[in-house]
Amino acid sequence: MDAHPAPANLVDAHRFRPPRWLAPALAVVIGYYVAAQLGLALTLKPHPISTLWPPNALLAAVLLLAQTRSWWWLLVAALPAHLLAELQSGVPTAMVLGWYVSNCSEALIGAGIVRAFVPGPLRLDSLRNAAVFLLGTALTAPLVSSFIDAALVRLIGWGDAGYWDLVRARFFANVLAELTIVPLIVTWAAVATSTQREARSARYAESAALFIGLLLVCVLVFDLPHREAHASPAVYYAPLPFLLWAAALGPAASASALALMTVATIWGAVHGLGPFAGRTPEDTAREMQLFLTAATVPMLLLSVALAERSRVEREAREQRRQLTHLSRVAMLGELSGGIAHQLNQPLTAILSNAQAAQHYLANKNADPALLAEILADIVAADKRAGDVIEGLRALFKRGETHFETLDPNRLVREVLSLAQGDLATRGIEVSTRLQPNLPEVRADRVQLEQVLLNLVVNAAEAMRTCAPKDRLLIVQSMATAARIHVNVIDRGPGFKVPPDQLFEAFYTTKPQGLGLGLSISKSIVTAHGGRLRATTRRGGGAAFLVTLPALPRQ
Amino acid sequence: MGMQEGCVSVVDDDALVLRSLGRLLESRGFAVQTFSSAQEFLERSERAVPGCIVMDLSMPGLNGLELQAALAEARDSRPVVFISGRGSVSSSVEAMKAGALDFLTKPLDEEKLIGAVQVALAKDRAAQGQRAQHASITSRLATLTLRERQVLGRVVEGKLNKQIAAELGTAEKTIKVHRARMMRKMQVDSLAELVRAWTLTQPPQI
Repeated sequence: MDAHPAPANLVDAHRFRPPRWLAPALAVVIGYYVAAQLGLALTLKPHPISTLWPPNALLAAVLLLAQTRSWWWLLVAALPAHLLAELQSGVPTAMVLGWYVSNCSEALIGAGIVRAFVPGPLRLDSLRNAAVFLLGTALTAPLVSSFIDAALVRLIGWGDAGYWDLVRARFFANVLAELTIVPLIVTWAAVATSTQREARSARYAESAALFIGLLLVCVLVFDLPHREAHASPAVYYAPLPFLLWAAALGPAASASALALMTVATIWGAVHGLGPFAGRTPEDTAREMQLFLTAATVPMLLLSVALAERSRVEREAREQRRQLTHLSRVAMLGELSGGIAHQLNQPLTAILSNAQAAQHYLANKNADPALLAEILADIVAADKRAGDVIEGLRALFKRGETHFETLDPNRLVREVLSLAQGDLATRGIEVSTRLQPNLPEVRADRVQLEQVLLNLVVNAAEAMRTCAPKDRLLIVQSMATAARIHVNVIDRGPGFKVPPDQLFEAFYTTKPQGLGLGLSISKSIVTAHGGRLRATTRRGGGAAFLVTLPALPRQ
Repeated sequence: MGMQEGCVSVVDDDALVLRSLGRLLESRGFAVQTFSSAQEFLERSERAVPGCIVMDLSMPGLNGLELQAALAEARDSRPVVFISGRGSVSSSVEAMKAGALDFLTKPLDEEKLIGAVQVALAKDRAAQGQRAQHASITSRLATLTLRERQVLGRVVEGKLNKQIAAELGTAEKTIKVHRARMMRKMQVDSLAELVRAWTLTQPPQI
């Protein structure tokens, strides 16, 4: 038994700890109440017809974002807000409770259908998810709940509207609400929880310009008195450029822009302004609902499609980058023995030179000229070791693609010096035939070095079984019209499969090979607008030819 | 530090390393010859007595192991000390099997290198002494007449003059004369000395 319980436990036992559900429940209460007030503010007079009823949609959005096991208490939390908002308007209590039931059923059906097809909190980041949302939450749920709603209204005997009129009115109002409110909440929740925060001021400035512009256009089109009885249809298209702009910025921007236009349109009509005013409330509401629904659905789908495409592209790019880096590191791993040798050489030279100088000095027969030579050699050896490290560091780094102007011959020499240790330990002689004054290329240095290094390492590996006198690696460079060519030639056995198969991923002849080197090399060269080809030479051996577009000479 | 006897041949394709090893060995009093490739070594090396070879295992063209094989073919018995930046087990085993004296990894431990070179030179010196003795005995043997050689062959087998005379079909007196002349030509004073000299010229028997 512990005789001395930690004091912190005592303090904790007496401190008030709010339950975890309290904050979300309070948020639902407040949100629902505010949404109801907004709905009332956007209700057409004289006899109330709601064009947009946000509380149901808010509830649906909350359920879509919450875990399924929390749904029941989130719906319970909405009850006090519902009573608070509705009982003020003098509606009979039975009717208020009936609407609570129909509101909850709409949210439950909408969220339930989506949850059945899309597990976890809804994200509007793919066309599939968007389609499930549109069909489940924005279409089926309002349809079913409007029948329930109208039946309850008739049952309780509130008002004198006909059953089908009630169904129609509720349906369109709820569809518009789901289309406007749910994407707004879901997309902004995704932005708030996103791990990659793109806090770029240019992006904020663009969004600000977009929303100011859209607000001005909406006020001009929907919130000013109209002189003619029927406005020209052209005015409805005025916000379109801004809506397209918002769709390009992403689903959150698109949902916000659509919500802004929806509120501006209804607010104008409620105050007798804009092109929808001056008809019966029923006509006004229906016209607005059709217009806004017709604008919202394609814009939402467009924004999701654009976002999905850019996300897929980004993921593919990131994957390619990781794979490229991985194969580069794997290749450097293969070279590590050679690199150790390369570092050992200058280290040996430095040590032996220094020790020789020590002996000469100790024996007092030090010739200053000899000491100067020794020191010069030590400096040269140290620089050589530094160059090896420098060349490696760039290749190990995982960086963004960075295009620069490069001299192909220099690139070849750098790669050969990096592989020199490996080539030496394999007893391979290198012969370079570089055409002087080659035109430059525009390329990512690290990626091109990776390609050339890969070809050199493959060539060296291919000559493993050759007789010592045959271990010759030839690297040629030359220029033809608007292109430069680098040819890496070995005297190994060549290859027996069709050349295309060499470039397939996971094709390898090495016992420990990943089979990615050539396939990645080819994709790098292709991304640079060039070609990588393989041929078997008649006298034995393989040749790999890199062709790249050359920059025009200065 | 006094001049060490013997010449060390250093073979390494890396000019910086080659120069530094040459300087280090010279600073410790060895006579040094440097070669930047195995080919150059084979073309230009002079057999010094005593001598040894310090060479890099991995060189373009002919590598260390191949040079070692070429030396064995040329009956150059100078001890070889290998140095390598990449001490792979298989190549070091191969080198030692082929008779390498030592296998050192870069960067070199100075005392190990000097120690290995000293052992190599001592070994070559000893081998050289044996070779010289062998050569002188062989040349002395060449001065013997056929009859003297026949007598020698039987003397070292432990036969008496009488037995030899019977075998060669001549008088014991004549054998005595041949035997005395043979002993003089072989520059030995006793039967024991003669047997030792004779044994040196014979291929080792297992």
